[in-house]
Amino acid sequence: MRGLRLLGLAGLVVFATMAFTPLANYINIRMAGVARLEPSDAIVVLGRGGADSDGILTNRSLRRVVRGIDLYRQGFAPLLVFSGSLEEIRERANVARALGVPGPAILSAPAARTTREEAEEVRKLLLPLGRKNVLLVSDPIDMPRARALMERAGFTVRPAPTAASGPSQPEARLGLVRDLLIELSAWTFYRVTGAL
Amino acid sequence: MTALTLIVIVALTSLGAYVIATRGMGLRRPELRGALLETLDYLGLAVIFLVGNFALGLVVILGLRALTHRFVTVYVLNDATLAVLSLLQALVLHCWRTRSR
Repeated sequence: MRGLRLLGLAGLVVFATMAFTPLANYINIRMAGVARLEPSDAIVVLGRGGADSDGILTNRSLRRVVRGIDLYRQGFAPLLVFSGSLEEIRERANVARALGVPGPAILSAPAARTTREEAEEVRKLLLPLGRKNVLLVSDPIDMPRARALMERAGFTVRPAPTAASGPSQPEARLGLVRDLLIELSAWTFYRVTGAL
Repeated sequence: MTALTLIVIVALTSLGAYVIATRGMGLRRPELRGALLETLDYLGLAVIFLVGNFALGLVVILGLRALTHRFVTVYVLNDATLAVLSLLQALVLHCWRTRSR
């Protein structure tokens, strides 16, 4: 009974801390690491969340696309590579073309369902072209795992995380905490299965 | 600012509820401490349900992937309704325990 009460108190403290203080944002920033924006062979924009059936990209996916397009327009690399689900890649390429990225500069990786599959598909696409140095666009919270997988696939990775501070609304911060828990679970799973 | 606004709103309604409860409904003030402690019990149950739901969700999703080769993303677990449903589960169990005493 006392244990249950203490657990409840702990749950309440964790909830209040994560929702009403910037701790989740701080963790988000720490996980992003330091961005290394340097001229590279390609900008790789990993998938996240896909697209709805009506072709609308999720918020996270769109953020990554905009970041990738911005890096391309600043001249960091001659190629912009999209990965993720089939619909997501198609819609991302449409967005990039609509925002002025020339078609030949856009490369679409074959569809993939997990970050591990994405790293493998991008490897098959880019390494035969001699494109080894990549700017990797991902959310801050995903960056450590995504970076490790891409490096394991043979790339020299320069992280280019999307905006790192994260949300300031309590519910959105709790969403960030849920993301963090899922990311930690994914990291553990990849370690156990030998993917990392 | 959003967080502060929410806290102020909840503080005001809590104060209002306290006034109505003590003056209008005749609830006894010394019992409030016990009620708060009982709420912590209930929250403890909710934490157990939430962790259990999350853990079972991971196992089911990974099991489905391994056994059926059907892909289900783990991001389905990133949903606020899981927390709400866990609170509901805990509420039912808590009420049941109280009635069984």
